[in-house]
Amino acid sequence: MFTFGLIAFSLAFALSLAGLVLALIALVRHTPLGPQALRLSQASFGLHTLAVLALLILQATEDFSIAYVNSVINPAMPSLLRMTALWGGQAGSLFFWSWVLNLCFFLLVSTRRQLVDAWTYLMLAINVLFFAGISLFIENPFARVWQLADGSLAEGLFAPQAGAFVYHGLTGVGLNPLLRHPGMVIHPPILYLGFGLFLVPFAVAAGQLLRGDPARDLLEQTRGWLIASWVLLTAGIVLGSWWSYDVLGWGGYWAWDPVETASLLPWLSSTALLHSLLAQRQRGIFHRLNVLLTLLSYVLVVFSIFVTRAGVLSSVHAFGESSISRPLMIFTILTAVFALGLFIWRWKKLNSNWQLTEFFTREALLLYTDLLLMAILLVCLWGLVYPLTSGLFSGQQITLGRGYFDRSTLPLFILLVVLMGVCPLIGWSAASLKKLGRSFWPPLLVALAGTAACWLAGIRAWTAPGILFVVFLGLAVQLALTIRDASSVGLKRFPGLWWKQRSRYGAYLVHAGVLLIALGIMGVEVLGSGIEGTLIPGDRMPLGRYEVEFNGITSDFDNPEYLNVSIQTTLYQDGQVLDELTPGQHIYMDRQQSITIPQAHSSLRGDVYVLVMDYNLDMPYATLRLIDNPLVNWMWIGGLVMVLGGALAGSVTPAALRRDEELPGGPADA
Amino acid sequence: MKQPNLKIIIGAVVIVAALAYLLISSTLSQSQYFMTVEELQAAQAEWLGKDVRMSGVVLGDTIQYDPQTLELTFEVAQIPGDHRQIEAMGGMQKVLEAAASDPSAARMTIRYHGVRPDLLKDEAQAIITGSLEPNGEFRATELLLKCPSKYEAALPDQSE
Repeated sequence: MFTFGLIAFSLAFALSLAGLVLALIALVRHTPLGPQALRLSQASFGLHTLAVLALLILQATEDFSIAYVNSVINPAMPSLLRMTALWGGQAGSLFFWSWVLNLCFFLLVSTRRQLVDAWTYLMLAINVLFFAGISLFIENPFARVWQLADGSLAEGLFAPQAGAFVYHGLTGVGLNPLLRHPGMVIHPPILYLGFGLFLVPFAVAAGQLLRGDPARDLLEQTRGWLIASWVLLTAGIVLGSWWSYDVLGWGGYWAWDPVETASLLPWLSSTALLHSLLAQRQRGIFHRLNVLLTLLSYVLVVFSIFVTRAGVLSSVHAFGESSISRPLMIFTILTAVFALGLFIWRWKKLNSNWQLTEFFTREALLLYTDLLLMAILLVCLWGLVYPLTSGLFSGQQITLGRGYFDRSTLPLFILLVVLMGVCPLIGWSAASLKKLGRSFWPPLLVALAGTAACWLAGIRAWTAPGILFVVFLGLAVQLALTIRDASSVGLKRFPGLWWKQRSRYGAYLVHAGVLLIALGIMGVEVLGSGIEGTLIPGDRMPLGRYEVEFNGITSDFDNPEYLNVSIQTTLYQDGQVLDELTPGQHIYMDRQQSITIPQAHSSLRGDVYVLVMDYNLDMPYATLRLIDNPLVNWMWIGGLVMVLGGALAGSVTPAALRRDEELPGGPADA
Repeated sequence: MKQPNLKIIIGAVVIVAALAYLLISSTLSQSQYFMTVEELQAAQAEWLGKDVRMSGVVLGDTIQYDPQTLELTFEVAQIPGDHRQIEAMGGMQKVLEAAASDPSAARMTIRYHGVRPDLLKDEAQAIITGSLEPNGEFRATELLLKCPSKYEAALPDQSE
């Protein structure tokens, strides 16, 4: 299986290389790209897939002579985790990432042949080859463990010296327990797929710039790819956040960790792109900006991979400083310089013929949205790059912690949410403040009433009413617009209209999702509270209306991998029993690692979360932390709504979009 | 091309200025210097009370923890801060082992209020955020611990 996998992977690489050569020949001879090149890339993908399957089989059959299998698998792991361990370590996840890029290449040449010319093909092939090359030549997942003549162990594909033989370990280290969570099982592939799909619009846009082709609607053709990658990226980020909340951060959902921040960068640029692409489709403007954002999004994907893989920034997610950091850094810089150079070179060809004259038109507001998103991006990028470069200038290593990110992005995010609430009310081109006022009243009143109701219900923390008001306003605006549409066509015809214009209603849903996430964040950050203390059996610890009582500790070895310690507690609300919670710890003796397993009483109102910080089995005491996280579950609901809304909007083909927007009542009227 | 509107120019200037202010002020107020034990001890007066991050190796025998009061103290010993120097010395694992068993290495006492992190043990690398007190002890507000393992180096740890 080792031989099969390695040969399949090497052949896949060779075929991609052959495809690249064919594309170069076509470019030199000025001939169109022949079908052979396409077949080569399809065959390369097929072989790459076989290589992935080979590694999966090695993992499933516990072949511990493979160094990667040794590092992420052990016999006690359930079979599902043995499969997903494919992306549980550096070599495997890099290999998987190169496969994802090849998959995107394959999907493009197989379904949208007309978008692939020699230049675009070249862009795709270079990227696939670079990452496959790193995986093949530097961090090969098929590398074996060798026992050398002197008895020591070494890793390598082939015998590192004469007399060395393959060492078959009896067991492996196993997947890091922190990664054994359903969120973590699906987070990496979803995020990678989201990342990978950005390659397609990038390659199409770069190909177009290289050709000097002035066609305006080419980017439009990649809208489906763009939305697909945006949806997956959103889902990936939300899942990562959920994992962090459940497993990693002791109730923290976002820590501005460098890797988290890096994955947010392409999300910000692609969100901006989706907005200005709307203006391009409907008004023929912002062409230049859109090309820039398309290129930037993929550059940021590469940057994000660099931050995660190279381990140059200390991060809880990073794989540690590694041998691939230099090639990755060089590739990131080259990609960025190439994209920027290309854009400047073709600057004159990309013209938008648009001037900002009115300040309250839909296009102006879309521009402000993009500017805000770019400002957030700039702030985040600076927060990542400054610590990297500060050492070079001052000789002192400097870090920017979450205080920096919280402080500098918060005002921008608030402005963005406000803008999002108002934007859908304002029409294209000529909008007057007066007209805005008339449609603004009903949602405004609803929002005021909602905020007042929350105030009466006891939410009094000083920033809460402001945020609640913005959230309610945004939701009410969308509801008002939907009701207006429904009443103008009649309830009977509305579902048909809704489906036909699902790109618009999908966008409403995405915005509603963002507002719900804002609600969740506000709940945790403004209204949340926590307490910790050491209790003996029978003790109670109060937090607001809640109380947790410590009843006792039990431990068992039901799972051979770890000692399971569980703490029995009773949760009270206003003196009444609310729930029995058994948080605990899993202690992995072999790895000397323990995992804290929180338990929460979860509802739409929020989570009451109990964590074990410390305990003693002999003389029973436990240090518990009780956390009240109001509204936190709206964050996950909001994430789901965003993903569904995005998928809904993305399910419309560009042709259908253009057709339907000519109908009365289309978004142009909104 | 039409002459750009004065309003737009003013607007752009205001936006750029606001953003620049946000960026610069946040950077200045939130920068944390990353120091080694020796660097911090060499310039005690200069760093007194300032928010810094320090890296060192945990000395297992010195760990004292009272679960009732959640008071934790331990000592860390000097390890180099420069990646290249660490690589030249044979990697983080070797550096940690050497520093923990070197009685002449510079040491500093860390005080922390909170629960003892699981990964706090002998020869673990500690990345500690906090500030230097006048008595030469370090008051930590955040502890980050890393235990180098053979294969996948950086284990994410929960003790943030």
